[in-house]
Amino acid sequence: MRKYIEIFKSQLQLDAAYNGWFWANAVASVIGLLIAFSFWHAVYRHTTQIANMNLPKMISYVVIAMILGNYVSGVGNRLSESIRSGEVAIELMKPYDLLLKLIWLDLGSKVSASVRNSLPLLVIGYAFLGVQAPVSLAGGALFAVSAILGVLIGTQFDLIIGVLAFWTVNVWGLRVLRTGILSIFTGALIPVTLFPAWLLRISEVLPFQSMVYTPVAIYTGAIPFQAVGMTLLIQTIWLIGLYVLVRLIWSVALRKVVIFGG
Amino acid sequence: MIRVEHLSKEYKIARRKPGLRGAAQNLFHRTYDTKAAVSDVSFSIDQGEMVGYIGANGAGKSTTIKMLCGILTPTAGEVRVAGIVPYKQRQRNARNIGAVFGQRTQLFWDIPARESFNLLKHIYQIPQHRFDENLRTFSDVLELEPLFGRPVRQMSLGEKMRCELAAAFLQDPLVVYLDEPTIGLDVSVKARIRKFIREMNRNRKTTVILTTHDMQDIEEICSRLIMIDAGRLLYDGDLRSVRQRFGNRRTIHFDLATTATDTAMPAQLAPWVFAEWEGREKVHIQFDARQTSASDVIAAMMQSYAVRDLTITDPSIESIVKDIYERGLS
Repeated sequence: MRKYIEIFKSQLQLDAAYNGWFWANAVASVIGLLIAFSFWHAVYRHTTQIANMNLPKMISYVVIAMILGNYVSGVGNRLSESIRSGEVAIELMKPYDLLLKLIWLDLGSKVSASVRNSLPLLVIGYAFLGVQAPVSLAGGALFAVSAILGVLIGTQFDLIIGVLAFWTVNVWGLRVLRTGILSIFTGALIPVTLFPAWLLRISEVLPFQSMVYTPVAIYTGAIPFQAVGMTLLIQTIWLIGLYVLVRLIWSVALRKVVIFGG
Repeated sequence: MIRVEHLSKEYKIARRKPGLRGAAQNLFHRTYDTKAAVSDVSFSIDQGEMVGYIGANGAGKSTTIKMLCGILTPTAGEVRVAGIVPYKQRQRNARNIGAVFGQRTQLFWDIPARESFNLLKHIYQIPQHRFDENLRTFSDVLELEPLFGRPVRQMSLGEKMRCELAAAFLQDPLVVYLDEPTIGLDVSVKARIRKFIREMNRNRKTTVILTTHDMQDIEEICSRLIMIDAGRLLYDGDLRSVRQRFGNRRTIHFDLATTATDTAMPAQLAPWVFAEWEGREKVHIQFDARQTSASDVIAAMMQSYAVRDLTITDPSIESIVKDIYERGLS
C-alpha cells in the first residue's frame, strides 16, 4: 500500500513541475465557462423554464457539470501509449500491480487538478456567475460522495479504452469515439433530462450519466432526497462492475502479451 | 542461480493476405506462421557469474531475457531464477532482479533523479539504511551527486545511463540483466560503467547477464560467454578459448583512390589474409596478427594499390558468431 501512496505523491510532484501547461489549461477552462454562461443566458432570454429548470438552476448545473466533466479523463492514454511503445514490458518487471499503479497516478493528478483547476473555477462560479449553493448541507455531502464515485467510474472507463490498445493499433480513433460519447452521455454539456425520451432511456442504462449527471443532479436537487440512496447504489454497482471488467480485460491482455509477445 | 532447461519460445505471427479482399478474409479467417525465436536452449548460471549473452540481432537474446524476467511465457521448457519460475510469480521475481535496457528508461522521466530513486525505494521496499548506503557507494563510482537534482529528460545519454545503472542495483538484486548498457557512450563513461559493474559483482556477488555488441564490454566484464544464433545455443564456455581463437584477429578496411583492376591479393599476403571486396574501391582484409602484422599488410597493399584511407578494427561480435557458426570452435 505504501508504495502506491508514494506513487500517488510522485504524481502530485510531477504536476507541480508543469506550471505552464497548468495555466494554459486553467485559462481554457475559464473561457469555456464564460461561453457556457452567455450561451444559457441567451437561451433563457425568451423563456423562464426549460425541463423544470430556471436560469440560476441551469447555470448552477452547467458550471458544476463542467468542473466534474474535467475529471472524466484518465490514465488510459498513458497505458495505451506504453503498450504501443513496448514500454509496458519494463513496467511489468517492476514489483507492483500496473493497474493499481495507474489508478493511483490518476488519483494523484485528479487531486492536483482539484486544487489548481476546480477550486478557481468554483470560486469564479460562486462569486460572478451566480452558482447556487447545494440544496442542503446533507445534499452537499451526498453530492461529494456521488462526485467521488463518478470520478472513479471515469477512471475505470478510461482504463478500459487504454487496455484495448493491446488489440488495436488505432487507439486515437477509439479515443475520439470515447470523447464523443462521453460529452453527450455524461451530462457534462447539458443535463440528460433535456434529451428526447428515447435517448434518455438509452442513457439510463449506460454508466456514463453516473460520472457527471448524477452527482450534479443531487447537487441541484433534481434528484429528490429520498431517491439519492438508490442512485448512489447504482453508481457503486457501476464502479465495481467496471473495475471487474477492467481486471478481466487486463488479465486476458496480459496473457496475450506473455504468451504471444504482444 | 539461473537454470534454463530446453527452453523454447515460438511466436505466432498472423499472415496478412494482400489487398482489400485479403483484408476482408483476414477478418474471418486468419492463418498464422509460427516463428521459433528460441529453440531448445539450456544453460545454468551460478551466483556471482558474469556472463556475456551474445548473438546477432534477432538471434533470440531479448526473447530469452524476457522469459527470465517473467514477461514472456515459454512455449516449452523450464526457467528458474533464484528458485522462482518467473512467469508464474512475476512480481516476486521482480524483487530479485534489476535491469538496464539501453534504449529505454526505467526512471521517471519528469521528476528529479533523487525523487526517482526515492520512489524506487518504496516500490522495492528497500530498508532506509540500505538505501542510503547503496546510494552513497554508487555515487562514488558513478559520480551521481551532481545529477540528483535533475530530471532524466534533462540528462545526457551518459548521465542517464549512470542513473539507470544505479537504479538497477539499488534494491540489492540477485541477478541483473544489462542490455547494451554502453551503447552510444563515450570512452570515459564506458570505462566508469564497466568498473561499476565489476565492483558490484565483486563486492556483492551479483550475477550479471550482459548482452552487447561491444567486444570490449565482454572482455572487461565477462568470464563466460553464451552465444546463440537463430534461437539455438551455439557456444557456452569460458571467454578464454574464444579469445585465443579470435583475440588476434584484425580487420583492415582500405579505401582505394582508384578503381582496382585486379582483385587478387598481393602474392606475399595471399596465404595469410582473407579479403572481401565491396565494389572495386573498398576492400576489407582479415588476418591473424600472429601470422602476419598489420604493418606488413598495409605496406603490401600500399605497393599494389593507391590507398586513400584505412582503418583497423577488432572483430565484431557478429563476425565471431558467424565464424563459429560456419566453422565451429576447434
